[in-house]
Amino acid sequence: MEKVIEAKNLKKVYGKKSAVFTALKGVDLDIYEGESVAIVGKSGSGKSTLMHLLALLDTPTSGTIKIDGEESTKLSKKELNKLRNSRFGFVFQQFFMNPKDTVLNNVVLPLKIAGISRKKRKQLAMDALKIVDLESKAKNKATDLSGGQKQRVCIARAIVNNPKIIFADEPTGNLDSATGDKITDLLFDLNKKQGVTLIVVTHDEDLAKLCQRIVRISDGKIIADNSVRKDTAKKASERREKEAARVKKANEKEAK
Amino acid sequence: MKISDIIASANSNLFRNKTRTFLTILAVFIGSFTIILNSAINTGVNSYIDKQLEAAGGEGYLEIMTNEAVDIMSSMMSSSSEVKEYREASGNDQKSTYITDEQIEKARQIPGLESIDLIYSANPEYIKAKDSDKKFAVTNLNLMPRGNVNLDTTAGRKPDANTDKLEVALTEAYVNALGFSSDEDAIGKIVTFAVPNTVECYMVSKHSDCLKMVDAEVVGVQAPSIMAMGGMRANLALNQKIYDLATDGMPEEAKRHAFQATAQVDPEKIDEIKEKLKEVGLAAMTIDDEVGMIKVFFDAILVVFSIFGGIALLAASIGIINTLFMSVQERTREIGLMKAMGMSNGKIFFSFSCEAILLGFWGSVVGVVFSMIIGTIGDKIAHESFLKDFPTFELVKFDPINMLVIVLIIMFIAFLAGTLPARRAAKKDPIDALRYE
Repeated sequence: MEKVIEAKNLKKVYGKKSAVFTALKGVDLDIYEGESVAIVGKSGSGKSTLMHLLALLDTPTSGTIKIDGEESTKLSKKELNKLRNSRFGFVFQQFFMNPKDTVLNNVVLPLKIAGISRKKRKQLAMDALKIVDLESKAKNKATDLSGGQKQRVCIARAIVNNPKIIFADEPTGNLDSATGDKITDLLFDLNKKQGVTLIVVTHDEDLAKLCQRIVRISDGKIIADNSVRKDTAKKASERREKEAARVKKANEKEAK
Repeated sequence: MKISDIIASANSNLFRNKTRTFLTILAVFIGSFTIILNSAINTGVNSYIDKQLEAAGGEGYLEIMTNEAVDIMSSMMSSSSEVKEYREASGNDQKSTYITDEQIEKARQIPGLESIDLIYSANPEYIKAKDSDKKFAVTNLNLMPRGNVNLDTTAGRKPDANTDKLEVALTEAYVNALGFSSDEDAIGKIVTFAVPNTVECYMVSKHSDCLKMVDAEVVGVQAPSIMAMGGMRANLALNQKIYDLATDGMPEEAKRHAFQATAQVDPEKIDEIKEKLKEVGLAAMTIDDEVGMIKVFFDAILVVFSIFGGIALLAASIGIINTLFMSVQERTREIGLMKAMGMSNGKIFFSFSCEAILLGFWGSVVGVVFSMIIGTIGDKIAHESFLKDFPTFELVKFDPINMLVIVLIIMFIAFLAGTLPARRAAKKDPIDALRYE
């Protein structure tokens, strides 16, 4: 398995002089292609900071990050932007949608930034909406959607550029458990069927257990990095399938 | 992100908050409307004044009197109560106000002087159409001089100074009186002037016996003018002919009484030539010397109005800054998201600048459209009322290049105003922006 992210001795310090706060105190983390990794920790543990560094949204105070073997510090700003645009997908707890714009226009955003032609990006966005089962809502205003639908649009937006890695920051944090499960299913489906590397930042143990690997972080350090027990994983996948069936049924009912 | 996409999104972002955008555009519009309408009035009035000035004399055209005549005129016009001591004149004092042949000869030697003509006053008594007996008094027949002098005509052309044919340009009032159906109809018709001979009229008992007839061709009809340069215009040949008929029989000495001349000179050397004419005893004046003040006065009024427009635009720029700062604030998380998705700082800057430029663009375009509508209506109303008699006077004249330049300048001002908020947007840290509540 290829290493997609290779982080060595990451440190991040905020503030200056008397008000110094060390968010990360030397973190080593390798993430392999096709993995699903949960980064778990309490708030203030440094998990979000770690994700931001891995996603190249921020630069570490010291340490190195390699993406596909390329060291991030050696990339120009332009290359960095291009890398994030083409290889990463982001799903956030608060959705970050443009509520007054249409669903399609929201999904299209990464492609627009990439400078892809109007016709092609519409096609790709419709394909992505098909995956999250919202193609019928393409022309609706984003504000008219339910919370679960909004997060599905965000997933469509995250996968529209066919990324290698999806960063999901508390993807179910704003949703009730039933809709949350559907989102989880979608994300793990992408991970399984399309081989997308999934990095989930969460404090939700249930969500974390669905991942192959759980990285526990506390006080700026990794305190545990282990795979979930096999039986738990099996149970989790069964539970997911059940849930999927239930949702499908519910949808069919709705359609009628 | 492609530039076309940036512009399209900037435009749709603007209209997300319709009220705010509308109000900002309104502010820009007020400034641009004032400036554009002002510029149109400026263009219209100045082009009319220019046309009128050309009728009085364009570049390098001089009106000439003797220095003595100018002195007499200025002493007549001065309200000074100072009593001057009497000084005996050399010879005939009045004679010194006439331009002499010697002076003309000397003037002709001045390099750069292209032509100089003495103006004799021609005073016919009446005019009639050649094949009609209806006579109309002539109060004002002016010379159409040689040189850079144009005539604002509604039909035909100005009388030719360089021909031996006798030509005249009528005014519209005479066209109607003489029974021509239209201005065009009058062109090419022959009219007859009756000129009283000074010598004979002392001797005959019946006044009509001393009248000499001269025929002239109508070559043009001049547009009514706001300035006092109306009256029919005779070409040099006709003017001379009428003068000759009037003075026939007088002693040669008495005939050569002209106290005015006109000259056409090389405009580049005009100051030099004026100086040299002064040495010969002749005072020369350009039209600008005489009526240039009108233009300066008018320009000053328009400058004041333009300053008002400029102040309005300044206020509008502050409106643009305010609107965009609010927009940046509201869209902080969107900015963060776009940056996370790989949008460069430069493109973020550009997309907000674009919104500013678009505010300027819409404000000024609406300004152009409205000022054209208001200007056209105003022009129409003016021509139905106080400008009724001046059909060639366009009160507002929209010069497309002028309009375009104004629109571009306003867009540039808007861009400058937008740089502050756009810079703030570009400098936002994506993580802080995403965390922003």
